[in-house]
Amino acid sequence: MSKTMTLEVLSSIKGAKSSEAVEQLFEVIKKAKATVEHGQANHFTAVSVSDLRPDEVIKSSELEREIIKKNFPKQKDGYLVVSKVIEE
Amino acid sequence: MSSDIRQLHDDLVQGKIICTALVKSKIEELKSSKENTANYLLEDYALQKAAAVDAKLQKGEKIGLLEGIPFGLKDVYLLQGQPASASSDFLKNYISPYTATAIQKLLDAGAIPIVKENCDSFGHGSSTENTVFGAAKNAWDKNKVAGGSSGGSAVNVAKKYTTFSIGGDTGGSIRQPAGYNKVYGLKPTYGRISRYGIMAYASSTDVVGPIARTIEDIRIVLNTISGKDYHDQTTYASEAVSEEKVNDLAAAKKLKVGYYRSFLESKALDASFKSSFEDLLKKLKELGIEVKPLDFFETNTLVSTYYTLAMAETASNLARLDGTNYGNRAEAENLKEIYALTRSENFTEETKRRIVGGNQVLSQGHSEEIYNKARAVRDEIDDRFAEEFEAVDIVLSPVTLGPVPNVGETLKDPLAMYLSDAYTVGFSLGGLPTLTAPTGTETGIQITAAKNGEEKVLQFANLLKDLQ
Repeated sequence: MSKTMTLEVLSSIKGAKSSEAVEQLFEVIKKAKATVEHGQANHFTAVSVSDLRPDEVIKSSELEREIIKKNFPKQKDGYLVVSKVIEE
Repeated sequence: MSSDIRQLHDDLVQGKIICTALVKSKIEELKSSKENTANYLLEDYALQKAAAVDAKLQKGEKIGLLEGIPFGLKDVYLLQGQPASASSDFLKNYISPYTATAIQKLLDAGAIPIVKENCDSFGHGSSTENTVFGAAKNAWDKNKVAGGSSGGSAVNVAKKYTTFSIGGDTGGSIRQPAGYNKVYGLKPTYGRISRYGIMAYASSTDVVGPIARTIEDIRIVLNTISGKDYHDQTTYASEAVSEEKVNDLAAAKKLKVGYYRSFLESKALDASFKSSFEDLLKKLKELGIEVKPLDFFETNTLVSTYYTLAMAETASNLARLDGTNYGNRAEAENLKEIYALTRSENFTEETKRRIVGGNQVLSQGHSEEIYNKARAVRDEIDDRFAEEFEAVDIVLSPVTLGPVPNVGETLKDPLAMYLSDAYTVGFSLGGLPTLTAPTGTETGIQITAAKNGEEKVLQFANLLKDLQ
């Protein structure tokens, strides 16, 4: 990722800029002392590789697929409308 | 042991109440309520389920303990065919394609969802004012906030519009509103209950939990919705919390209790809260319970670590909301403009602040000194909890620094809002089970145990209830 990407681009939010309140929280972290490097211990949020679910495809129900299609933001003549993705 | 679920169950079985009448009356109460807790009422859906329960009873068939019991769910849970907005404009017309695991377990047990409850948008807030449905009001004072982010859920339980509600807690979102509305609210151990079907805020601390008026109802719902789930690989298999053990007051008196010196010495702590908390510790000592002070991280470090990680995770989780596949889509000339306009128009200011903060810490140049550092500090917090729970069984702490704020105060000062989570976020970072009990201070007390220690938490809450 380019170093020149702005917060506006990274966030896809117009006029995005850092907030003073949030900056103050980050200053506390910058000054905090961490004696252990992250990842040295196996902490609780990690999922064990010996206990992974099977890598399999499970077909969703007809109702589920119907609702997913209804949730699509724009439809025309029975088609789901997406934006052009040809860009610079 | 007092239980509204058991009372309603007995009344249904004995024919003292009819399920359809019960559900109808609760929906009517919600319709005419002034607290603004309901984003969507599930009237037809709920009445259909209630009629099925009545039909069973009329045939003389047995019903389960939760069958016919009306409950509420925070509007971040998916319930197939029903709206799920996360209190946002983005998803105001979104229909859930499937049902969250925790909610499915309640449906399987026969409980009846009657309302999708108002909350801070995507869980981003501490007052249920950051919502496009209008601010929810406190159950006991309409000039005060409901708390958040599960504010509508806590108010509904306090006002008896629901028998229990299912909230979500990332940094205090069940515990703080439970305290503000004087009910019980449990943040279970991370992984005890599946997160499948809850809209993700910060995936590494998000948990599903019950809010109820009695300890026994918390226990019943907790046991119903816990368990390993194929759809959420962070879940683990847990044993049911036993009623007998929760009622064992002699065992509760043998539990060693700790409290954090840094929490009590915080200058931000309201003086009356400090003295109420000290009075509680004194009463426990008089009962012969061992109480010891513990050293812990400064609250500013806890809050900053939590928000750094939560913002980074929410920026990633909400990146999927761009108007392409679902939710509102703004019209614009090209794809990038569609993304930017859609997100700018449909997220609230507070949600945008957190997304931008998250992208800031994850970006090159900042991730090392902020994001990675916060993860390292979190590991230390986790290690420290593990050490402390070798020495004590229970840690007690206030829920908040001070009384319930007035409506309109919280969103004006984001930093103050973040810092107000000082006592709740640490236990989220540690993934520890923590219950808010409506005792000890004006906004309640938190009871925390080591991971998977829900039984001890509820046992001790039972002891505290009798101390009132």
